[in-house]
Amino acid sequence: MIPALVAIAALLLPLPFLGVAPNRLLPGEGVTAIAALGPWVALPVALLALGAWRRLPGWVGAASAGLAALALLGLAGMAAGERLADLAPAARASFGAGFWVAMVGALALVAMRGAWMGVAVAAGAVLLLAGGWLDQLSLVVEGRARAEALRGAVLTHLALAGAALGLALLVAVPLAWAGFRQPRLGAALGAALAGVQVVPAIALFALLIPLLAALLRAVPALRDLGLGAVGWLPAVLATAAYLALPLWRSVSGGLASADPAAVQAAEAMGMTEGRILAEVRLPLALPVFAGGLRVAVVQAIGLVTLGGLVGAGGLGALVFEGLAQFATDLMLLGALPILLLALAADTLARAAETRLGRPA
Amino acid sequence: MIRLRRGLPALLLAVALAVLALPGVASWLMGGTQGPYPVARLWALALDHAALSLAGVLPAALIGLALGVVVTRPGGRGLRGAADAAAAVAQAVPPVVVVALAVPAFGFGWAPTVLALMLYGIMPVLRATVGALEAVPPETRLAAEAVGLSPGQVLREVELALAWPLVLDGLRVALVLAVATAAVGALAGAATLGTPIVIGLQNQNAVLVLQGAAATASLAFLAEALLLMAVPARE
Repeated sequence: MIPALVAIAALLLPLPFLGVAPNRLLPGEGVTAIAALGPWVALPVALLALGAWRRLPGWVGAASAGLAALALLGLAGMAAGERLADLAPAARASFGAGFWVAMVGALALVAMRGAWMGVAVAAGAVLLLAGGWLDQLSLVVEGRARAEALRGAVLTHLALAGAALGLALLVAVPLAWAGFRQPRLGAALGAALAGVQVVPAIALFALLIPLLAALLRAVPALRDLGLGAVGWLPAVLATAAYLALPLWRSVSGGLASADPAAVQAAEAMGMTEGRILAEVRLPLALPVFAGGLRVAVVQAIGLVTLGGLVGAGGLGALVFEGLAQFATDLMLLGALPILLLALAADTLARAAETRLGRPA
Repeated sequence: MIRLRRGLPALLLAVALAVLALPGVASWLMGGTQGPYPVARLWALALDHAALSLAGVLPAALIGLALGVVVTRPGGRGLRGAADAAAAVAQAVPPVVVVALAVPAFGFGWAPTVLALMLYGIMPVLRATVGALEAVPPETRLAAEAVGLSPGQVLREVELALAWPLVLDGLRVALVLAVATAAVGALAGAATLGTPIVIGLQNQNAVLVLQGAAATASLAFLAEALLLMAVPARE
């Protein structure tokens, strides 16, 4: 079990487990896991070793690995409190590389032994947070200080992702239908949408600003509709441009998946084109389309991050503010919720797909 | 055998985009009043960008290939689901988020971007390798075993030899994706063709943004053209 070995190595080797810094911007001084946790370091190590033991049933292994992840979190919180006790109030204790590697290893072990245990780990982390165990960690301090902004950013992020997804659907579905009826048009559309993917995302977001500015200068009436060259408009447009390909592919693939013999039989029975679509093609296309929709939802949540660069707000704005200030906690405060939202969307969509009848 | 014609459209596109990135052309198009990015510095950034992309793709190619071979061996089939799931998660998290998560752990510079490109590149290579190895007809494998080849020889001389063109297709996709996404490295302090984009955004200089974008896309198409030309077509 490689993840367990990596995680244990990260705890026992001289890697910084915590970083203790005089304030939120200065780089911290590294403290190894052995120095920070003392004898307690044996607890996560033992739980990781137990979690990797193949003789044990999968759920015991997963539970043990999950407890290791929670132990890492709780012990890091306690150690942070000890380290900060004699320091000025502005001092911060943040996670170091050793913590991250050990945490990723523990979570990978959970995923390998029984992924559903991830829900219990998430619940445990929420309990640790609510119980005040993590209050001394820099990330939590930063989160408390910006709770209001964080909540707003999550909502904006979801709204932007939803708008981009809706726009992409509005464009991709009719295009896929047109391409399905005229294969030559379809081939050209496919090449054009694939070409978009080669444009670096950061460039597409940035280039839309001057293009939209020129458009708004040419047609000032658009301004009255509340459209602006900076803000949500470029973010939604650019994200939708990247989502169009997976959506277009899945709709086209779904439409093409109907057996020609079944379609011919329906025609022979005298069904109209509309009824063939509704009763033969769509039921067969639905599972394929659901797979494409899942990819698009997850990509939307990730890509909207770049909206932070063009003034659209959302969690990306926190990430880029953090990058600009070299404030690592602020970066994490933006990036971790994006990761969680993307994983949650993926899990929910997979469950919905399975209920739809055919796992992807 | 080198096939120039296969890569020609991508090569022409690369040249056209490179012209678009020239200071004179870009500032004429954008009507910018601020200074464009000089060619010499753009060229230096392009070399850095290419090196960074390769640094991300090479480990991804090795890991993807190794995982692909392991999960198609009789002893490794149990790992298939876990490998697929891990690669899917790695692909679902966009590089900019990986960079933001990796900077706190590894600091500014190349490391966060290399990690992001690596995670992003494993899935195309893994998928191509697994697909290609599974497409080898079982009779061929049985025949090779019957002649007395060891499992290692069957893998090297029969399976990988037959699967190679498809695997190279996956490597090409991974490389082109890496070149296109390496621009985000500029946000984490790595010198790439994303650097003019970020500077342009900060100073509201659209000329720089266009130059960086066109140069990045040009490099991506150049990589595509070179690999298409170097790799023999599938018969």
